[in-house]
Amino acid sequence: MTPIRPNRLALSVAALMLAAPTAVLSQDLITRDRVGPEDAPNVMTFRLTAYDLYSTDPATRETFEALFTTFILANPGWRLETQLATDNIGQEQARMLEQVGAGRGPDCAMIDSSALGLFKSAGVLQPMNAYFTQDQIDDMFPFVRDAVSDADGNVLAWWWFTSLQVLYRDTALVPDAPQTWAEVQDAALVTVAAGREGILFNGGRWEGTTFDWLPNFWAQGGEIVDAEGRPVFNQGDNREKLLAAINYYKGLVDSGAAPARVTTIVNYDEFSAAAAAGTAGMFIGGNWQYGQLRSTLAPEDFANWELSELPGPTPDQRATGTGGWTIGAFSDDPEKVRLCAQIVWDIYAIDGNAFQGLLPTSAAIYDQFDAYDGPEYDAFAAALVNGVSRPDAAIYPEISNQFQIMLGQVLSGAATPEAALDAAAAAVDAAFARL
Amino acid sequence: MQQNRLVWLWFTPVLLLLGAVYIVPVLDVARLSFSDATLLRPVTAYGLQSYRDMLGGDSLGTILNTTAVFTLLNVLGLQLVGMGIALLLIRGENRRLRGMSVLRIIVLAAWVIPGVANGLIWQMLFSEAPFGAINSTLRLIGLPGVAWLSDPTNAMMSAVIANIWQGSAFSMIVFYAARRAIDPVLYEAASVDGATPAAQFVFITLPQMRGALLVNTVLVTIQTLNTFDTILALTGGGPGRATEVLSLNIFNTVFYGFDLGGGSALAMLLLAISMALTLIYLSILMRRGART
Repeated sequence: MTPIRPNRLALSVAALMLAAPTAVLSQDLITRDRVGPEDAPNVMTFRLTAYDLYSTDPATRETFEALFTTFILANPGWRLETQLATDNIGQEQARMLEQVGAGRGPDCAMIDSSALGLFKSAGVLQPMNAYFTQDQIDDMFPFVRDAVSDADGNVLAWWWFTSLQVLYRDTALVPDAPQTWAEVQDAALVTVAAGREGILFNGGRWEGTTFDWLPNFWAQGGEIVDAEGRPVFNQGDNREKLLAAINYYKGLVDSGAAPARVTTIVNYDEFSAAAAAGTAGMFIGGNWQYGQLRSTLAPEDFANWELSELPGPTPDQRATGTGGWTIGAFSDDPEKVRLCAQIVWDIYAIDGNAFQGLLPTSAAIYDQFDAYDGPEYDAFAAALVNGVSRPDAAIYPEISNQFQIMLGQVLSGAATPEAALDAAAAAVDAAFARL
Repeated sequence: MQQNRLVWLWFTPVLLLLGAVYIVPVLDVARLSFSDATLLRPVTAYGLQSYRDMLGGDSLGTILNTTAVFTLLNVLGLQLVGMGIALLLIRGENRRLRGMSVLRIIVLAAWVIPGVANGLIWQMLFSEAPFGAINSTLRLIGLPGVAWLSDPTNAMMSAVIANIWQGSAFSMIVFYAARRAIDPVLYEAASVDGATPAAQFVFITLPQMRGALLVNTVLVTIQTLNTFDTILALTGGGPGRATEVLSLNIFNTVFYGFDLGGGSALAMLLLAISMALTLIYLSILMRRGART
């Protein structure tokens, strides 16, 4: 198979030429569950999230309709049957794994980076090496390349954008970026004194809670699993580091620096809403929220919001979690795997990322677009130096589930950090033994 | 005799359909409960390990306790609210008050809302953010906000309220039909004898509706034991495990722990609890039925 070598200029020209008639054309070619002619003889199922082709934002939707139209016109005889993933990531990915195992899964799908290890260990992903050049593969960030590759060097999925958590703050109340946990608490209490909620973060029962909190553990050098994927977070030094990370959050709630309601937060939109309502002083959010704030807040309010790297126990101990989405192929039909790889590159990895301001996983792409010239991208790049991705282990979803329970119990006062940690470790060990 | 055989012949398609739709899946879950199956690999061995792990797990007691509290409060609440609305409707209709149909439609509208949507609606209402719906209203009238979802005890009560709001329409329908079936002569005679409305309720309505009460209790109990969608959307089972009922725990075991065998064992436990409660209710119903 010939690797895909997209001619960027040709693609751009084609996209521009198609831009005008696309609005009319896409009405026929793109529906809620289809891309391409209804009577096309070849069908590939593609499961995607609701943030691009089916976005509620008209500009985003139109851009991706144009990209998908270009793609399908370049592949005559094909149509995509699109399946919309639900926004509950953990459950959605687990259900998809079950469907794939039963032979009812999509041919090609978006896989959250947190679940990639699960799909890899299940052996259901088809290698995509043949459809990318070695230069494209080499240009991936090392942590991304490691995560998508198996032991034989096969690229099992393409991680098309990454994300990271940062600390957002209203500079009218917190002019200087807190560097340590203690500084976060002090700054949050200042905002509480000003009548706002101090600092908000995810603390409810969902993956975001674990993912946003883990950097506090990683910053100390803690490890969740060992090289074989066995849970070790409650062993040796890890236990003390984990307790320190729990106590950091506990201290924020106990001191009033964070409201008790953080245990109910299961959506990043809560932070944007609080920022828009002017009720929060700081929050731990994703890099993608910067664009949301820009489009949501009045310019004079937005000017007050800045982001910085997540604080650590000391200024030198930093980490942030790197997330994002991958696209992988489950079909064993080489033509469908080729199309899946082409979707990645022609639609998402370059133009889609640049339009949405997401963080590409290939260094070269940053230099191609003006969209990545803003000062926020300098901050993201600096934080990415300390990026840590979730462990490539099948037990991770259960670890995440138990950490959510653990944090909820501690922050609501239902258990001590030690007792909650011991319960979480026992549950994870039992689940690992049965896995 | 020949006629009896023909009856079974006509029943055969229904029995086959019910068997395929209900019994086969249950048998498959029972089979999986004795296996080590996970979502990542098929069965490699059969045995009692899933049951041993389930019974030896630290969290089972907490989850069963949470399930019992949630079910008990809901069964009581659903019966009381359902009965209250049904009697209100009957009273309103007897007095030819306007708006009774609208009231019935409003109550039924809540019933047709999917559980997840119900959870999301109440999540917005119970939001503890400064701009949360109920708390904002409380603050407007000078009352402090309530930790509806972040306090473990309040979170349970919030989940119960959300479930009762949605489910009371079913109880209302059962009680409305049962109340309508009571002979009005009984109330007329009681009125002539000078019985107060409260006395009429205690000595006529309740005894006459005993059958409906028991049937409704059975149905509502099973329904509540299986409830997890509303809780999933409202609290996700949190904070911590404060609202994690057995059905939600089954879901988490399978879809987070990928433990198909363990999840199936928990599902069999839920089935056993439902069947035991149903048998208890039915025995009471049959005993009372035989007496009356």
